[in-house]
Amino acid sequence: MSRTILEVTDLRKDYSQRRGLISMLTGQGRVIPAVDGVSFYLRENETVGLVGESGCGKTTIGRTVLRLTDPSSGRIVFDGRDITKMSRAELRPLRREMQMIFQDLDAGLNPRMRVRNILREALTVHERPGDAEIAGRIRELLEQVSLKESKLANFPSELSGGEKRRVGIARVLAVRPRLIVADEPTSALDISIQAQVVNLLRDLQKNLGLTYLFISHDLPVVELVSQKVAVMYLGRIVEMGLAENIAHQPRHPYTGVLWSSLADKQTTEVTRRVTNVTVERERRTWGVFDFEQPASGCRFAPRCPLYKDKGRPAVCTDPASEPQLRDVGHGHVVACHFA
Amino acid sequence: MALDAGPLLAIDNLRTYFYSRAKRAFIRSVDGVSLGVAHGETLGIVGESGSGKSVTALSAAGLVTAGPGVISGRIDLHSNGTRRNLLEGLENYARFTEQDGRVMAVEKDERGWRKHSDTLMAGVRGKEIAMIFQNPRSALNPYSTIGKQLVETIRLHTNFKGEREAKERAIHWLERVRIDSPGLRFDNFPFGLSGGMCQRAMIAMALSAEPSLLIADEPTTGLDATIQSRIVDLLAQLKTETGITTLLISHDISVIQRLSDRIAVMYGGTVVETGRAAEVLAPQATARHPYTAALLASIPSAETIRRKSYLQAIEGEVLDTIEVPRGCRFYGRCNRVTDAIRENCAGIEPPLAEIAPGHKVRCWLYPAAGKA
Repeated sequence: MSRTILEVTDLRKDYSQRRGLISMLTGQGRVIPAVDGVSFYLRENETVGLVGESGCGKTTIGRTVLRLTDPSSGRIVFDGRDITKMSRAELRPLRREMQMIFQDLDAGLNPRMRVRNILREALTVHERPGDAEIAGRIRELLEQVSLKESKLANFPSELSGGEKRRVGIARVLAVRPRLIVADEPTSALDISIQAQVVNLLRDLQKNLGLTYLFISHDLPVVELVSQKVAVMYLGRIVEMGLAENIAHQPRHPYTGVLWSSLADKQTTEVTRRVTNVTVERERRTWGVFDFEQPASGCRFAPRCPLYKDKGRPAVCTDPASEPQLRDVGHGHVVACHFA
Repeated sequence: MALDAGPLLAIDNLRTYFYSRAKRAFIRSVDGVSLGVAHGETLGIVGESGSGKSVTALSAAGLVTAGPGVISGRIDLHSNGTRRNLLEGLENYARFTEQDGRVMAVEKDERGWRKHSDTLMAGVRGKEIAMIFQNPRSALNPYSTIGKQLVETIRLHTNFKGEREAKERAIHWLERVRIDSPGLRFDNFPFGLSGGMCQRAMIAMALSAEPSLLIADEPTTGLDATIQSRIVDLLAQLKTETGITTLLISHDISVIQRLSDRIAVMYGGTVVETGRAAEVLAPQATARHPYTAALLASIPSAETIRRKSYLQAIEGEVLDTIEVPRGCRFYGRCNRVTDAIRENCAGIEPPLAEIAPGHKVRCWLYPAAGKA
C-alpha cells in the first residue's frame, strides 16, 4: 500500500462576520465555521473526491490544506511534515510540491503575458534553469497537456476555454508537484471539452504519479476519477468511503439525496441505480436551510428524509449528540445515528 | 391540444449576427435556424456555448438590438387566434449583401430597427412571450420587493387591475411555485431569498402574465445540484398543471431530457438534429447526428464509471462561428466521416433532412440528405 502524502486532522476554519455598529465596537461578530472539524488523508497516487453543495466548505478545505488560507485549528501533515504552523519562508520550498487548479479559467494567467512567458515564469519561480532547458521543459509541458506549439505566442484572451485550462494545468505541472488540489477543474468548460480535460487529468496522474484532491459537484465525474469520495454538508464530512460504495450504497441520507438529485433530473439508467428508498419520499418535503444557523444536534436533520420517516427522534436534534463519523466496515465512515 | 392550428411559434430561416471588431468579421451566432414549437409542447434546445441556442431565444423575444443583430428570417407567433410575424417590416431597416449564399456586409438603421421592433413587440414581450433567465437575482429588481414586482406584472398584463386582487393573485402565484409562506415572502427583497427561491419567484413572475409562450433560458444553470433538481421538478409540475408552451434552452442534457417533448440540437449556429425527445436521446438509437452521439458519449455512463475507462471526448474545439467552414460545421471534429461522403462533408453544408417521420438530421451519412 502506498504511503500517505497528506493527513488532515480535525481541521477547522472559522470566518468571522462583523455586521453593524455593536459588533464593530465590541470587536465581536458572528463566527461562521466554514470547515468544522474535518479529518481525512490522501495516499500517494490516489484521488479523493470532495463533493457537496456550494457553501459546504469544499473549496475552503482545498485552500486550507495548501495553506493558501490559514486554518483556525487542526493539523495538516504533508509528506510527514507538519505544515499547520509553518511560516511563509518554511513553506516556500514545499509550495512546489502542492499546487492548485482553480475553477476560474483565467486564474493565474496574466492577461498581459503571452503563454510562453506564463510558462517560463512558472518554470523559474523555484529554480534558475538555463534558456535551453527552459525551451525543452516548455516543449515537454505542451506535450503533456496536448497544446499546440503555435499557442505559445498567444495571449490568454486569444485562447478558448479548453486551451486556457490546458495552459493552467501546464503552469501547475511546471513546478513538478506531487499533490494537486483540483477545485472544480471542469465546471467552467463546455461538455465536449470537459471530457477532454477529465481524460487529461487521469493521464497525467498515471504518467506522473500525481495525487489529487478532486473538488467538484459533478457527481458522475467524481465517481469516475476518484478512489475515495468524501461527502460534505455544512462544513463537515458526513460520509466517506470508496467511490462505488458512496455512489451505489450510500449510508448517509444526505449522500442519497445528493445522488438522487442527479438521477431525478434524468429518466435514464441512473434512476435505477439509486437504491435508497427513502430518497423518493424525501423530495416532497424538503425545506431550505441556513448555513449561518445550523440546527442543534445533527445539522442535516431539518432537511433529512430519514428524520421525518423515523418520527423525528429526539436524538437527532439533541445539541449534546451531534453524530460523529463511525466506521461501518471497509473504511466506510458515516455520521448518522441511523446509518 | 390544438396542434392542427399550426405551431404557436414558428421560426423560419433566422439569421442573427454580431460583429467582432477585433477579428473584423461577423459572428454568425444564428445562421439559418428554422424551428417550430407546437401549442402545449416543450421544445428543448441543447447545445454548447456559442451554438446559438440562447441567441435564438433572445431573437424571438426581440431582445437582440445591438450590432447587426437579427438580419433576416421570420418569427411567426400564432396565439389567441391571431398570427403575427414578429419581424414584420424589419427588413426595411437592415440591408445585406450576399455572395455565394454568405452574408458579406450588413447595413442597418439601428435606431429605426429598434423603434419598429418595439412596436411589434408591444403587448407581446412579457405578455405573450415571458422569459426566465439563468441568473434570477440579476433579473429581479434589487430595490423592490418580490411582491411589488409581481403585482406590477399582474396589473400590467392581466385583468386583475385592482391593487388588492393583484396582490391576491401574486400570492396565488407564489403558492403555485411552491414558495413556503408566500404571504411573508411577498414582502421580501430578492437579496433575502436563496438562489432557488429567486428562481421560483422569477418563474412566478413570468407565468403570472399568463403568457402563451414561456422561454426558459438555462433555468437551472448556476444553482446547486440539489436545488437544480427541485427547479426541474417544479417546471415539470407546472408543465402538467398549466400546459404552457415552452421553449427550453439548456446545455444540460439531463434537464432537456426530463422536460422536453421535442429536442433541437444546435451546433455552430445551426440546428443539426431535431425530433421527438425519446427518439433523439434514446440510448439505443442508431440514427442520429454524429455530434449528438458524441455529446451523449462524453458524459460518464454507468458503464464507463464501472470500468473506470476513458471518456469519449470530442476532439478539437467548439466552433467559434466566426470562421464558418464551407462544408459541414462539425466536419473538423467528426469521427464518422467515411471516404464515400468525405468530399460532401468538406465542401457542401448538408441540409436538414428527414430520416424518419418528424426526425431530421443535418448529416451526409444519411441518404435522405442527398435527396433533400
